[in-house]
Amino acid sequence: MHAPVLKPILAVYTALFLLFLYGPLLVLAILSFQSGPEGGPQFPIVEWSTYWYRDLFGLNPPSRIAPLPISDGLVRSLALALMTTVVSTVLGVMSAQAFRQKFTGSGFVFYLIVLGMMVPGVLVGLGTALLANSFGIDRHWWGTAFVLHVVYTFPFAFLVMLAIFNRFDPTIEEAAWSLGVPPGRTFRKVTFPLIFPGVLSAMLFCFTLSYDEFARTLFASGRDLTLPLAIYGTFAVEIHPNIFAFGVLTTLFSLALLGIYAILMSLSVRRAQRVLVQEEA
Amino acid sequence: MPMASQTGRNEGAVGGSVLRLDRVSKFYGAKVALDDVSLTVPDNAYVALLGASGSGKTVLLRTIAGFETLDRGVITLKGKPVNEVPAHRRAIGFVFQNFALFPHLSVVDNVAFGLKNAPGVKLDARAIDTKVRAMIELVGLSGLEGRAVTAISGGQRQRVALARTLVTEPQLVLLDEPLGALDANLRSRMCGELRRIRERLGVTFLHVTGSETEALAMGDQVIVLDQGRIAQIGQPDEVYTRPLDARVARFLNCYNLIEGRVEGRGFATEGRLLPCAQIGPAGAEIYALRQDLIEVAPPAQGPNEGPRLPVTFVASEYSGPSITSFFKLPSGAVITVENHLSHRDPQVFEPGRSYDLTWKVDDALILARGTGARA
Repeated sequence: MHAPVLKPILAVYTALFLLFLYGPLLVLAILSFQSGPEGGPQFPIVEWSTYWYRDLFGLNPPSRIAPLPISDGLVRSLALALMTTVVSTVLGVMSAQAFRQKFTGSGFVFYLIVLGMMVPGVLVGLGTALLANSFGIDRHWWGTAFVLHVVYTFPFAFLVMLAIFNRFDPTIEEAAWSLGVPPGRTFRKVTFPLIFPGVLSAMLFCFTLSYDEFARTLFASGRDLTLPLAIYGTFAVEIHPNIFAFGVLTTLFSLALLGIYAILMSLSVRRAQRVLVQEEA
Repeated sequence: MPMASQTGRNEGAVGGSVLRLDRVSKFYGAKVALDDVSLTVPDNAYVALLGASGSGKTVLLRTIAGFETLDRGVITLKGKPVNEVPAHRRAIGFVFQNFALFPHLSVVDNVAFGLKNAPGVKLDARAIDTKVRAMIELVGLSGLEGRAVTAISGGQRQRVALARTLVTEPQLVLLDEPLGALDANLRSRMCGELRRIRERLGVTFLHVTGSETEALAMGDQVIVLDQGRIAQIGQPDEVYTRPLDARVARFLNCYNLIEGRVEGRGFATEGRLLPCAQIGPAGAEIYALRQDLIEVAPPAQGPNEGPRLPVTFVASEYSGPSITSFFKLPSGAVITVENHLSHRDPQVFEPGRSYDLTWKVDDALILARGTGARA
């Protein structure tokens, strides 16, 4: 196809893509500046204000609107996501390392691991709840739900690390051995620093996936709610723009996380890049 | 090791052997990578291991280093069998074709890596630093200590790889086509450097290469590996002038190999009986003639003394110090003749015209084909 025809089509496609990607978020962000407490979660904006942001932090005079019951959920979700990130990434790195050599049944084990991200979340959650009940195990976000989060995010970490190791030059490790350095120390001093960007990516995956996981957590977390469950719970009563304000703040938090990721990434890649530029010059 | 500096080209065996392989075999499924390889590498020597790609030379090196296990045979290092010893406890240095430097470390940290991280090294930071600086100086990298290894040239990376290995004082250094990644100019310079550095340190180098010129130039001893087997072991001039079979000769890239068979006291080929100085081994059916030992003469007139073959001239190729000419035998086989211009002015041949090739009887070799010829 010729460029003159293709270009406008691509432009329209890109515009639509951006609209669907950011449109909902934009509406949310605008409505979060609705006046309060009488303004509702719809257009038009009665008056621009930061009322609902102050509402989140309890800075407003008491009104008929109950504060959002999400602060406990936020703490739980952050803790759960952190725990999940650490465990899944460690497991992912270890299992991907194991897969660098062919072993009997490696194909079977591969699918066994990847199954964790394939099976429908609601079913797994429900099944875990039933299983826990029949064995008399209490369901908690730090117990049953945590296990499910690991089962869910571990395959992502595993696949990321598998791709990283796929491009890893094993002769670098052999070089370290031939210098008399044992394999364990070689991993710490050579392998790990080199795969670190991949480990960061795996951690990011695990964190975001766990942080807003809903389906599995719904049945497996028991009495104490995580953040996505708590937010869902508020919809049952009445929706106020404070939930939008909260959405904006969490998005900013996510962006900050991404920013940290980008900085760490560029720090570990910078040397190589600077060097490339030098070589081309 | 001051006494080491005495070593001449042919005295490598004086210090005993550092490495011995006894009937080593290695299989990949049904494929035989190493077939009953036995060899001895003398102490304080430069041994070149020559082989085409796929001859098993890299596998052999990796097996010695301990990166691969063997299926049969024994590897003995300084008198001790090392089959079960992991790579990091063998004290064998390895220089990789792609150098395999640690990309996240600077030049000096790459060189110091082994001394800093090997559990066997009992040196304080000062002593390590002194050794590292000395080694960096020996390989000619002074001034580049702080550079990232990705910010230096190919030849410099080669030196880092060498320095990194040598500073740990291995009993034996294996070099896997260490010059393969360098351009021709740099390669010839590094050849000399490698020999110089080795002689200074008195350590044994086992240098794997696919280039016959490199092997002949570098080695005190040349081992020719062919299809996982040892085809020949000898000093460079011996291998060059007396290849054991036609496959070795072909690999040396300087022999014309003419098919035929031994008949009586001569070699029958191209409808003629060429006289032979010696009758080759049983079943010999290749007449090997070095490219630079052939004379081109006008078509035969007068008495026919010495071996002689009628040919037609095809083309010439100029390559600086020499001219390579191609002639066609009656059977269609092509004979290559190399004339060194320093010896005489170039002869001018006319395409399509007939000439006679002559040579001294003593210069021709009668060889076995090579495959399966050895029991």
